[in-house]
Amino acid sequence: MLVTFALLRGAGGSPFEPPPGFARVPLPVQNELRRFYNLDEPWPVEFLTYVRNVATLDFGPSQVDRYTTVDQVVEQSLPVTIQLALLALLFAVPVGILLGLVSAATSRRAADAAASSFATLLLVLPVFLFAQIASKWLVQEWGLVPGGWDEWRAKVVPALVLGLAPAGYTARLVRAAATEVLREPYVGTARAKGLRRPRIVFVHVLRNSLVPLLAASVPLLALLVTGAFFVEGPFGIPGASAWFLTAAQTRDYPMVMGLTVALTALVLVASLLADVAAAALDPRVRERRT
Amino acid sequence: MTPRAFLHRPQALVGAVLLVALVAACLLVPVLSPHDPYAVDFAQKLQGPTADHPLGTDFFGRDLLVRMALGGRASLLVAAAALALILVLGFVYGSVAALARPRLGALLLRVLDAVIALPRLPILIVILVAVRLQANVLTLVFALAVVNWMLTARLVHGQIVSLQEREFVVAARAVGARSSWIAVRHLLPNSLGILLVAAFLELPALILSEALVSVLGLGLNPPQASWGTIAQDAIGQGRTYELVLPSVGIALFAIAANWVADGLQDVLDPRSL
Repeated sequence: MLVTFALLRGAGGSPFEPPPGFARVPLPVQNELRRFYNLDEPWPVEFLTYVRNVATLDFGPSQVDRYTTVDQVVEQSLPVTIQLALLALLFAVPVGILLGLVSAATSRRAADAAASSFATLLLVLPVFLFAQIASKWLVQEWGLVPGGWDEWRAKVVPALVLGLAPAGYTARLVRAAATEVLREPYVGTARAKGLRRPRIVFVHVLRNSLVPLLAASVPLLALLVTGAFFVEGPFGIPGASAWFLTAAQTRDYPMVMGLTVALTALVLVASLLADVAAAALDPRVRERRT
Repeated sequence: MTPRAFLHRPQALVGAVLLVALVAACLLVPVLSPHDPYAVDFAQKLQGPTADHPLGTDFFGRDLLVRMALGGRASLLVAAAALALILVLGFVYGSVAALARPRLGALLLRVLDAVIALPRLPILIVILVAVRLQANVLTLVFALAVVNWMLTARLVHGQIVSLQEREFVVAARAVGARSSWIAVRHLLPNSLGILLVAAFLELPALILSEALVSVLGLGLNPPQASWGTIAQDAIGQGRTYELVLPSVGIALFAIAANWVADGLQDVLDPRSL
């Protein structure tokens, strides 16, 4: 947090610097504004005041629009981003698991190659390509789905687009894990007992292939956060990353700080939850506790 | 490590050939092509692929093949410079964390875990916005390195820790070698190989990062071509075809580099020998 603060504060520039050719803001007005935003203090005082405010979750007013506080924006936009990410996961995880299991368990090499390459493509093609194509054709040209975030119909496509890369990543992880698990002796035992192959794969192998997935929460979350920056814009979704970009472009420091803290907290909480879930799922981790 | 073991893996070999071909194309096309990548010619604008312009032209009538190649050069150059910083930073941090006294090492590892969990893109954007007044290629390189050094540190740390349990290190310790000697003589040289793997894992991520921030208008500036700025132009003017080109470039590069990294990992892993 100190680093972000120092970077933004030390960057020079000021909200009062007029673009070339524009009149300066009158000095008395500047001073009044500086006082309103606590910019008249030396920077350590400014930082401490700021820390005290942030600790009480008060990020102060926006520097661009004084009638909007950062808290209001965070309160409104963060749930949108969370919902978008959850919807994306809702689609990405099952699809990814299915894709990964199919490519690990199939006996035909062509099917495996097709499923793996598909997963890889989903992962390596940049998210802005999918976002741009989907928003351009589905929303703007054909008008099949509305933009924004008001109706559920508008939410489907952005969530799908955001889920593509996580789905590919999930598929690759599950494929690697399931290939290992399939070699375990207990899979042979299950087969010897006469269990059908689908049952073995979906019951025995699946459960043990999920642990590496939960352990990989950090890269998955990174994909989601990064993706949100390129999905919210084109679809006109009022989420945290869309606000973040606007604030960054207008040098609205409190807004950028507030959203950075909010996004970071969100990611940390989510990865903590994933760790707990991994512990609950993996008997080996559970054992270590007791 | 035997080079032949690497060559016997078809996927790694194909990846290596693809990488060399991509880099060679980026280097050679601008030299061989008759077209000036910055010459504006509206009579030729927005053409599809023709014999004269194999990938067509953009809004300003500039040849897209040359611009893609030049863009690839720029993207690669930025990524390679950031990679050099990352390898140094990651190697130093990783080896210090592995070789320091247990308390300090554990602390450094905790810090690493915490930093890895942070969302990178927002932080990258904050840095780039902060330095925008003095923005140039160098600041972009530094910013990319600052948010991407963690994987390399993790890999180096893991490598050294696993080396410490190998027989030759245990034997060196048993005959009374000092730990500083073991570190300099055995541990550090043997963890250099993992840097090669890290390099091929990080390169595509760096190229993608450059593209992402350029699309947001925080990377290289037009008319300088990079895969990111070509994508930015395409998005700004709503042209899908021009967006597909750099995306495919990024994806091809990522796939090839991944195959090479996989191959290297197999070859370097002592268990697979």
